Amino acid sequence: MNAIKLLWRSTPSRSILFNYNTTRLASAATITPIQRIEPPPSTIKLDKLYKRVELEMRGIDPAVLLSYSWFCIAAATHLGIDVTKSWALRKAEKERHTLLRCVHIYKKHRVQYEVRSYFRFIHLQRLTGSTCDTYLEYIERNLPEGCALKVTKIECQTIPDHIKPPVDEK
Amino acid sequence: MSVFIRHYNPGSVYNAKIWRFASTTAETPKLTNGEDDEEFRVLDILKKRDKLQRRAPRKADVPPDRAEKMRTDQKWGDVWPGPKSFHPSSVPLPIRQGYVPKGQAPPGKKANAELMKIPNFLHLTPPVIKSQCEAIKKFCTEWPKLLNSEEAIEKHYPLEIITSDYCHASPVIRNPLSRIVILRIKLSDLKLDKHARDKFLRLVGDRYDGQTDLVTITADRCPVRRQNLDYVNYLLTACYHESWNYEDWEGDKTLQDMEYYDFDMNQSKRNLVNWHLLCLNEENNFSDEEIKLYDVASIPNATEYIESVSSLFNDGESDATLKKYDTSVRKLLGLPDKKIVT
Repeated sequence: MNAIKLLWRSTPSRSILFNYNTTRLASAATITPIQRIEPPPSTIKLDKLYKRVELEMRGIDPAVLLSYSWFCIAAATHLGIDVTKSWALRKAEKERHTLLRCVHIYKKHRVQYEVRSYFRFIHLQRLTGSTCDTYLEYIERNLPEGCALKVTKIECQTIPDHIKPPVDEK
Repeated sequence: MSVFIRHYNPGSVYNAKIWRFASTTAETPKLTNGEDDEEFRVLDILKKRDKLQRRAPRKADVPPDRAEKMRTDQKWGDVWPGPKSFHPSSVPLPIRQGYVPKGQAPPGKKANAELMKIPNFLHLTPPVIKSQCEAIKKFCTEWPKLLNSEEAIEKHYPLEIITSDYCHASPVIRNPLSRIVILRIKLSDLKLDKHARDKFLRLVGDRYDGQTDLVTITADRCPVRRQNLDYVNYLLTACYHESWNYEDWEGDKTLQDMEYYDFDMNQSKRNLVNWHLLCLNEENNFSDEEIKLYDVASIPNATEYIESVSSLFNDGESDATLKKYDTSVRKLLGLPDKKIVT
């Protein structure tokens, strides 16, 4: 590394290299300057409007879901988002499997397994697109282990311009 | 020859010597183990070496808990910045966790697997949430103040697009259910005339809900959400424009094809008009078309009669409709009201 530096400093032609570009430009006066291709003017993207955002949380531990929903509501209030409802199902959804206990025969002897899923719901109201994206990114990054999140967004739009009654040309 | 069998230890060489020197008079030296005669000697057949090797376990010099040195006014957000398994020495709280039978105290926080297993929210305490929200607040925008009621939103933005996002542990970051797009719009917000509305409802079929007046179009046939969104918009546009189109064969609809009773097209109107003109002794030269267009407002009590006849055919025969027809005909013909003889 140092050897290269020494080489670079010792070259007598360094000064020539520096002057090279300036002399080149001066002689290029006859050539038409390169025109910069300007990017086309971008149409302003309007912020989306979400009438309602519904969060559905599923997990194996109801206490963890409760803590997480508390966190979601706290974050929403800090960011100025309207929280309309927050509730949980009283009982878990249980998925049960009854399997044979033994590898071979013994049909009368079974073993039962069950998987319990607990649910929690939060409904938010009247969010803009950027607020929604920010909030959801924050929420999803802090999703705890053993929990799943489903976000349903209801976006409200205007009726497109092409959906209008046909004009009678008579 | 007396044999002294004292302190019989199988491995001991010394005992072997006792046997040889056995005599009546010779006194064998006692094996002094430092024990008194009164203590009971325990028979040790299987010589267990561990009793000799076991020494007192050396206590490792563990420094005191970090939690002991923590100040009460410290910033907890700096101590626990991110999600982390529970570490008892770093948490200055006397937490107990675990099920024990009645009466006992639950196990403490040190070496408590129950506390370490569960996800903790120590990284999301209220001051930390507040500071993080303050930091991300600059990316948020305000909701327009004038759209503060459902009616206002529906008036200016009647079309609804419903989509779902999923966030959960999985081998893949994508969830195929997120491609589903649902479009919802109220039929009253679309500009349709009578024929167009009827045709639109026929085209849309099951997707229309009469009670809420909502048309719901779902698309999930494409693999990507954007494609489904385009498809759903295309469906709405196509149905709308098709409903305004008047096909040639639509004019072939006859009176028998009518699915509802239209008073203007049926015999009943002709009868009414003819009777009215007969009462007035006027010339009856009207053709079919003219009878259809004849203004019924000139005939007294006619509107009620029309309503009752239409409801009889459309809503079916019931006590209410029959009673209504009865009263309307009596009014029309100038007959007295029905007398209820008790």
